[in-house]
Amino acid sequence: MTESRSLHDNVFIFQIPGCTYQSCFVAGLIAENPSGMHYDPLMRLLLVEDEIDIQSFLRSSLEEAGYQVEAAADGKTAERLAVDGQFDILIVDLGLPDQDGISLIFKLRQMGLHAPVLILSARRSVDDRVRGLEQGGDDYLTKPFALAELLARLRNLLKRNSPSGTEATRLRVLDLELDLLRREATRSGELLQLTTQEFVLLEFLCRNAGRVVTRSMILDQVWGMRIQPDTNVVDVHIYRLRGKVDGLGQQPLIRTLRGVGYVLKDR
Amino acid sequence: MSSKTAKPVMRSAAWRISLWATLAFACGTLLVFIFLHRFVAGDIQRRSDAWLSGEVEVLGDVAERTPKNALYDRVVGEVAELAGKEVPNKDLTENRSNDSVFFLQTGSDGSLKLWVGAGSGESHLKAIEGTKIVPDRPTDLDVRGFEFPFRVASIRINDGSFIYLGLSERDELRVLRSLRLKFFLLWLLLVLLGFGIVFFTTRRMLSHVREIAEAASRIGHSDLTARVPTTKRNDEVSHLALTLNRMLDRIESSMHQLHTITDSLAHDLRSPLTAIRGKLEVSLSAVTQIEQAEPIVSVIEELDRLTDFLNKSLDVAEAKADALRLNRVPVDLDELLRIMIDLYEPSMSEKGLLIRLQSSGALTIEADAALLHRMIANLFDNELKHVPAACTINLRLSTEDDAASFIMEDDGPGFDPEVLSHLFERRVRGKESNGHGLGLAFVDAVTRAHGGAVTAGNRESGGAQIAVTFPLLANEQSRAPMAAMRGAS
Repeated sequence: MTESRSLHDNVFIFQIPGCTYQSCFVAGLIAENPSGMHYDPLMRLLLVEDEIDIQSFLRSSLEEAGYQVEAAADGKTAERLAVDGQFDILIVDLGLPDQDGISLIFKLRQMGLHAPVLILSARRSVDDRVRGLEQGGDDYLTKPFALAELLARLRNLLKRNSPSGTEATRLRVLDLELDLLRREATRSGELLQLTTQEFVLLEFLCRNAGRVVTRSMILDQVWGMRIQPDTNVVDVHIYRLRGKVDGLGQQPLIRTLRGVGYVLKDR
Repeated sequence: MSSKTAKPVMRSAAWRISLWATLAFACGTLLVFIFLHRFVAGDIQRRSDAWLSGEVEVLGDVAERTPKNALYDRVVGEVAELAGKEVPNKDLTENRSNDSVFFLQTGSDGSLKLWVGAGSGESHLKAIEGTKIVPDRPTDLDVRGFEFPFRVASIRINDGSFIYLGLSERDELRVLRSLRLKFFLLWLLLVLLGFGIVFFTTRRMLSHVREIAEAASRIGHSDLTARVPTTKRNDEVSHLALTLNRMLDRIESSMHQLHTITDSLAHDLRSPLTAIRGKLEVSLSAVTQIEQAEPIVSVIEELDRLTDFLNKSLDVAEAKADALRLNRVPVDLDELLRIMIDLYEPSMSEKGLLIRLQSSGALTIEADAALLHRMIANLFDNELKHVPAACTINLRLSTEDDAASFIMEDDGPGFDPEVLSHLFERRVRGKESNGHGLGLAFVDAVTRAHGGAVTAGNRESGGAQIAVTFPLLANEQSRAPMAAMRGAS
């Protein structure tokens, strides 16, 4: 990283992945929840991953994030578990010892499984069949990944799969307000002079208020690219945005989590 | 492909083959006809000569035996006239007075003694006197006032006078002329027919070859599962198709092997990377002191760099073996560059760099979007890292012939002359570079995989220039719906 010192003025240490999720949940009930949805405190998740190391850290992180996790190390176990338990969401690794992850997903779909699937792939190219599944409402993530991104993608899948309410036209995070129709943002009632791109970036942060977003998530969602620049391009955007949103004497909202990403404070 | 079908017939191989084959055929048949003509002409000549020789002998006999009295002229004259009615090759359609035969007897002093035929016979006698006519051998005789020559046979009878029997070659020549006309029409018909047959058969045969070539070119780099069409016939063309397909089998299997190797390598390296990264993130979340977090964060960043390096080197390795898998979709280069500039502009202006784009609007190519994004990001990263402050970066996007041309120029110090000649090789980097030396090799690999080309060098006025061209696979038709979509959204 070649981040300049000035970008580090707002560093704090990433607490626990689960904590950010929980705080959002609480915020969602009390304050205006930007995503406009309510989470069941115990989402049931089936994790199909044969690498024991990966399975164990994923299980612990997901449990901390509030999921009730069942894990399977092969396709057969996964099939058995999927029949017995009602799962809200699945994480399936493509390289299973006994069968191909995609065949497993097709088999589970035939068995009447409707829950969305997040596909994990260590392969180089994204299989056409994965693309097909992606169009069908599932999502994929290539290894290695950031935990925050995994959690964000899971949330997105659950949100897509839940009955959607009316799309909000305003987002509010503490004293920051975004008018999505007029594409205007105000902080404590004062209009912020944002460029189009800055507004899109701020909107993305607001929609994920209280949760960590990684640089690759920002690049994917705001600029529509899955790239890994080895320069600090995203940081400079955030730094500029922070300069406009967090004025003098105001409570800083945008925080940098070194090595992880950014978070927009929601309390 | 449309340009191939629009190619004029005259430039096709079938046309050229047919032309040469027809030329040979025409020469051959022409020789045959010339030979036939000569044979027929000789035969006609022989027949009329035989008739002349026979008749002149008969007439000589008659003239010898007929007493030389007042009736002599009438007897010999009537015999001569009768003979004239049995002329060979006679044109029966013409019912004119019989002027094709003449009978002439000269006295021993060479004066005209007896004449049977059209006219007075004086001009014939003059012509005979002017030509040396050997008895018993028919000779050609040109007579003034007659269009066609005569064939004349003569005999000397015992009273010292000569008998000449002449037959006009008019009918003979007419027969030959009509024969020539028929031969010519027949020859023309044969040649045209031959040309037609040769042209259509070669075109049919070569159309198989063209189908094979088109199918083979469609198979390209990324899709190796397709095969060229084969025919059931056991000829050279079907052998060609079978050989091509066998070759494709072998290429596909070696590509498959390469993919298996890179895939398993990627898998075997990425799984531990995932586990390490995950564990680091978990331990980072348990840390409360910023000093303790620092090393973990830097390890995570190193891991991400390592992952990027792994991805790029496998991509470069596959591209070097022409085995990079592409998922082609229409990509608007103009739009992509504008998004990239939007992304990189703040970092560049932070560093005091100015970036400008010169483009004449939407320019769509068929490309693998993810690879193209990474490639362009790579070029931008390079500029951001290596060009010093207060420089200008110029981007030019244009269409040149059948290619999209993208040129990136700056007025910085340019490339290190030491590395200039092998910029696109792996692990080549400038002295001050802290990258892994894959950047331009990756750019080169992606461009080549798309059938394009990259050149890099230093401008005369200073600064580096990188020029990338991509073939314009997308034509106007595929560009239109894209524009419509953009307009609708």
